Amino acid sequence: MDNNLDLQLNEALKRIKEVKNDCLVKDFLDLKNDILGKKSFISEAYKTMKDLSNEEKKELGAKLNNIKEQLNKAILEKENEINKYQLEKKLSEEKIDITLPGETFTQGGVNPFFLVKNKICDIFLNMGYEVVDGPEVESDHYNFELLNIPKDHPARDMQDSFYIDENTLLRTHTSPVQARMMQLHQGKPLKMICPGKTYRRDNDNATHSHQFAQIEGLLIDKNINLGHLKATLELFLKRLFGEERKIRLRSSFFPFTEPSVEVDISCFNCNGKGCSMCKGSGYIEVLGGGMVHPNVLKMNDYDPNQYSGFAFGVGIERIAILLYGIDDIRRFYTGDLKFINQFHKKGE
Amino acid sequence: MKVSFNLLKQFVDLNCIDSQTLANRLTFAGIEVENITPLAIASNLVIGKILSCVNHPNSDHLHILQVDLGEKYGISQIVCGAPNARKDLKVIVAMPGAKLANDITINKSKIRDVESNGMCCSLLELGVERKFLTEKQINGIEELTEDAKIGDENVLAYLGLDDEILDINVLANRPDLLAILNLAKEVSALFNRKLLLEDLKVDKLAKTDFKVESLTDKCKQFSIKEIHNIKNNVSPKWLKQFLMASNIRSINALVDIGNFVMLVSGQPLHMYDLDKLKERKLVVKDNYEGDFVALDDKTYKLVPNDIVITCAGEVMCLGGVMGAKCCEVDDESKNIVIEAASFHHANIRHTSSRLGLSSESSNRFCKGTNHFQYDFVLNFAAKLVFDICGYEIAYENVTFLDEKYQEKIIVTSLSEINNRLGSNFDLNQVISTLESLRFKIKIDGEKLNIIVPDFRLDITCSADISEEVIRYLGFDKIKDELPTLPQSVGKMSDYLAKNRLVEDYLINQGLSQLLTYTLVNETFSKQFAYLYKGEVYKIINPLTEIHQYVRKSLLPSLLETLNYNLNHQNKDVLIFETSDMITDSDHGVNLAICLTGKMFKQGLLKTDDVNFYTLKGLLEGIMSLLGVAKGRYGLARNDKISELHPYKSALIMVENKLSGYFGKIHPVYQEIMDIDKSDDVYVLELRLDKIYNLKTSMTKMKPISKYPYIERDLAFVIDEDVEVENIINVVKKAGHPLVDNVSVFDIYTDNKLMPKQKSVAIKLIYCSRNETLKDDKVNQVEQNIIDMVEKKFKAVLRK
Repeated sequence: MDNNLDLQLNEALKRIKEVKNDCLVKDFLDLKNDILGKKSFISEAYKTMKDLSNEEKKELGAKLNNIKEQLNKAILEKENEINKYQLEKKLSEEKIDITLPGETFTQGGVNPFFLVKNKICDIFLNMGYEVVDGPEVESDHYNFELLNIPKDHPARDMQDSFYIDENTLLRTHTSPVQARMMQLHQGKPLKMICPGKTYRRDNDNATHSHQFAQIEGLLIDKNINLGHLKATLELFLKRLFGEERKIRLRSSFFPFTEPSVEVDISCFNCNGKGCSMCKGSGYIEVLGGGMVHPNVLKMNDYDPNQYSGFAFGVGIERIAILLYGIDDIRRFYTGDLKFINQFHKKGE
Repeated sequence: MKVSFNLLKQFVDLNCIDSQTLANRLTFAGIEVENITPLAIASNLVIGKILSCVNHPNSDHLHILQVDLGEKYGISQIVCGAPNARKDLKVIVAMPGAKLANDITINKSKIRDVESNGMCCSLLELGVERKFLTEKQINGIEELTEDAKIGDENVLAYLGLDDEILDINVLANRPDLLAILNLAKEVSALFNRKLLLEDLKVDKLAKTDFKVESLTDKCKQFSIKEIHNIKNNVSPKWLKQFLMASNIRSINALVDIGNFVMLVSGQPLHMYDLDKLKERKLVVKDNYEGDFVALDDKTYKLVPNDIVITCAGEVMCLGGVMGAKCCEVDDESKNIVIEAASFHHANIRHTSSRLGLSSESSNRFCKGTNHFQYDFVLNFAAKLVFDICGYEIAYENVTFLDEKYQEKIIVTSLSEINNRLGSNFDLNQVISTLESLRFKIKIDGEKLNIIVPDFRLDITCSADISEEVIRYLGFDKIKDELPTLPQSVGKMSDYLAKNRLVEDYLINQGLSQLLTYTLVNETFSKQFAYLYKGEVYKIINPLTEIHQYVRKSLLPSLLETLNYNLNHQNKDVLIFETSDMITDSDHGVNLAICLTGKMFKQGLLKTDDVNFYTLKGLLEGIMSLLGVAKGRYGLARNDKISELHPYKSALIMVENKLSGYFGKIHPVYQEIMDIDKSDDVYVLELRLDKIYNLKTSMTKMKPISKYPYIERDLAFVIDEDVEVENIINVVKKAGHPLVDNVSVFDIYTDNKLMPKQKSVAIKLIYCSRNETLKDDKVNQVEQNIIDMVEKKFKAVLRK
């Protein structure tokens, strides 16, 4: 009897084992029923229990329970195996081509003009400067007079600027915003930059444009000196062009600053060794600035004996041309997407 | 300004200082040397003498020369094509290996079977510009004079071409540097070298009764010198060379002397033929009106404010610009009057630019001249005239002077200078710097009284003095420290900050940010001109009519850019621009968007053609980004913007005012803009300033219901003209407060089954904040909604 049960158990286990993973569900259920159902050998064996003594009942019971457990376990394992196989099969049927293009969340291109403008504004914002703006159509009073460029000054020659009428023109620089902000702050300390479009009566070519843009900077307080300008610009230019840049100042002339300087940075192409970009000098001219002329302070409600300040102006296109190696200033204005879409917002 | 290094050496000791060292120092002191070029480019030259010249057997124009090159090189055979090659001529020979202008290298060669060991040169081949050469010099080889030494290899020096030209960018405030003499003073200060000015020995001058006078305050100084019995001449070699190096052509001795004096002193001269003047008096006026026949034989119309020099009422010279034909100095002139005057810069500038007559002289007047050096200038000129043309009598200078020379004194102090510069210079450094720059200093306690030299027109205040100090001593001497100011928080103006938000949003949606010109043509200035009051600004002096008007709309320029891209094989153009806008009575900020082609969902696999709703979505995105509630703006049917498709466009209304529009462009306008018919182009323009000005409130959290919501769908068959938004509004109202959200999920039309009607399917979300909703309650509300919609729109619920 015992031997018989063991044989039947082995027989059943073998059958379970032999079930193929891709069998039909019905076949598997039939098998399950065959092995564990009412007519199964184990059910039959249980039925024989009633005729046995208590002692024998206990012994057989334990044995049968053990067989049932083994069968249940084997079925469950097989079931898991089949499920796993079926799932794997289903998943494999869901296989995709991972080389197809991803969904499109691309950013639009950004005219590098704006990349530079925003970058410069952000640097000065972080240094605590106020970013302001001013009108593009200006009176000659603001564009010239208040900046120490009196009537009859050659810079006021009609043929260099676009005039609307005798006293109104498209601003030729962002400097009139200096005057406007000084008047607004009425003799109080001031720390601002102003990005903006400017216009000069130049024929458009690779290096000249009748429209261009500047960022004007102005700081006024007590005891401001040329060293402050130098340090401020050094900080700014290193952030823009790289920490390893060196800067140097050269004497220059602007009517609204005195002393006036041109600011050069060590060439980032050759690191100051001299190359075609810096014309062999190792340095590249990047902006102009100086100490605000006492006349300008006076005309705009500041007492030059108490206050002093520095101002500077950066050409946005010039910086973009240098940073990105752009070959023609007209590219900023033509809007060819083959150009524009080379440039994207970056957290540089 | 082009400065001859050799000429500069005549005025300041530059021994052992090369041009590059000079240029570097000058540049840092604010006198930028833009480049240095050799006057002539040639190596391996030697002077030779043609011993024989025979015709080349295989050519009708070549000669075979035997040239004596002196002891070192002996006699050489050279084939030469110059028509003036002949026996006994002394010539410049470029030896094999010589490098000449235009990258020409000379090699030994055979020319039509005859060996040639070099080339006889013209000055052109040595790099001398054509304009300095005669026809004969250009067409043939240079003919050297007898003093040329055979075998001399230092040919450029012999020719006076061993010069270097410094191209100096003279800053607007330093017109004094347009004089070699003043440049020499700078150099002498910067290098601590001696000025080499010989004192002018002035011979005893004769008395004259010649009179001068100025009737205008635009000429405060007018001086002349009368010289008798000269012989105008050809200029000597040294003079021609300096002029050539300074980029001025030699004409004749008197003209050349005038130019040379100007180069040296910065003072333009003019010369009159005394015998052609009707009386011995010159009068300066600025109120002449009429014709004037100038030296160039052309007639010019003169107007008041042109400064003229008259003699017996007739114009003898247009001051500072050009002389009159009638009193021109020529080769026959015997007695002359030399003028050195000061004219007001603005008048000269206006006159020369009006008449298109600009010269080295007028340029100097335009920039400002030294009013007080006339005696030196006239005596210097007279000396040169004597040396070159000879004269019998030179007379005393006659001067009209309406302006007393006053010493310019600037009061400053050491601390003022150091404070401005952020420097620690001591008194000695400052004083020696200023003194070497020819300032005179009187110390008065703490105060420094600084006397400005007469040629420094630019120095007017203490700040100028600090600049002199720092440009001389060097910017590396200033301390390098950040201003210590109270902490401040950087901030952008509200509008700039919001602009940045909008721009970033659109870039993130895949649109590209562009920049186009503010100035547009007349046609563009009139298109889409709806959003701004007032007239467009018109430029009165445009360079081209393409850029003549300050635009009122960004769309024409942006559409032009769109079309440029379509024509350059960029098919899908998704672009935008933001810009300040201004008219004579309004200003604001615009956003313009132009879209054509596809927007991409997954490469080319999934794409959507752009359409009206693309723009509407972007608009809603911007509004939501800026926190503008839906109720604060609205859309209206387009009954105004003729450039847009009337049935595929909308007006954007803010506070009941037109603030923008968007939609498909009108086919007629599309044709006007020359955009291909097959492209569907959608545009949007919006006055951002109107949106920025809208009130927005801080976001406050809305309570979130803890009870489940119920979702139900309804579909109505309804007249095709009923706008979905109206239906949704009615549904919301009828379902209040249980309807939490309503959205449309399907629009279906079938012309056969339901002509002129459409099926609108909407999804409703019911939710209560107080209880779990029961079906019967929802059913009750839903019935109410159905009733209202059916009644209001004559709609029928689809079962």
